[in-house]
Amino acid sequence: MQTEKEEPLFVEDTVYISSKTTAEEVIQEISDKLLEKGLVKPDFYQNVIGREKDYPTGIDLGVVNEALPNIAIPHTEGEFVNVRRVIPVHLEEPVTFKNMIDPDSSMEVKFLFMILNNDPEGQSNILAQIMNFCTTTSVNDLEAFFKSTDKSAIYEFLNRSFADQEL
Amino acid sequence: MIKILAACGAGVNSSHQIKDALEREMGDRGYDVKCDAVMVKDITEDMISKYDIFTPIAKTDLGFTPSIPVVDAGPILYRIAAMAKPVYDKVEETIKSNGLK
Repeated sequence: MQTEKEEPLFVEDTVYISSKTTAEEVIQEISDKLLEKGLVKPDFYQNVIGREKDYPTGIDLGVVNEALPNIAIPHTEGEFVNVRRVIPVHLEEPVTFKNMIDPDSSMEVKFLFMILNNDPEGQSNILAQIMNFCTTTSVNDLEAFFKSTDKSAIYEFLNRSFADQEL
Repeated sequence: MIKILAACGAGVNSSHQIKDALEREMGDRGYDVKCDAVMVKDITEDMISKYDIFTPIAKTDLGFTPSIPVVDAGPILYRIAAMAKPVYDKVEETIKSNGLK
């Protein structure tokens, strides 16, 4: 049943920095941490990585502004997650993902928004909010944000930016 | 009513964004549109035959040739008007050329 007050999309405790260099490694690393916290089901990793192969999630932000790094939004069906939350992951090294809207092409990604969504019908669209953030935040602010390795600063900026959105 | 089938890998995020955007924009353009969002792997020839237009986020191998018009809707996801407009225009053109109501 849907509660009146939405759960927060971001929680400071689930902002991560990863030094992994492949999509498999970073998704495994973050999936393990989320499983420890009880936020996802044991089959989460296998389903996310399997889905990434067939339906990739890399998003080319070069079409928004050439100065911006690319992002990816790994996710899977609601049955494999326990909450509605976005997991931000700063990637210290570029990680190759396939392009969501052109799956034959690859790109280097520097930031993940892993989407945990157990309620796709009931509330405002999480992906729409992420894309609004990437396309309406000032490029200078986004460049600084995507370079930041300060988990508190990443959380604060996302929390503030998403709270200001009107969909 | 014009029935559109949106699809993505998980049926959770991308396809729902396409559904919301198409229903809003096509409604604004004066069309009575109902869009359903599903997982690609759940689509069958029988299911797709009940719709008027198929709008995946990218070129999609369904394992069969869709019997209805296909419009790749991925650019809508950027929520940038200049990128979404050609997709909306293509959907409208498909509605008109096929006499959909």
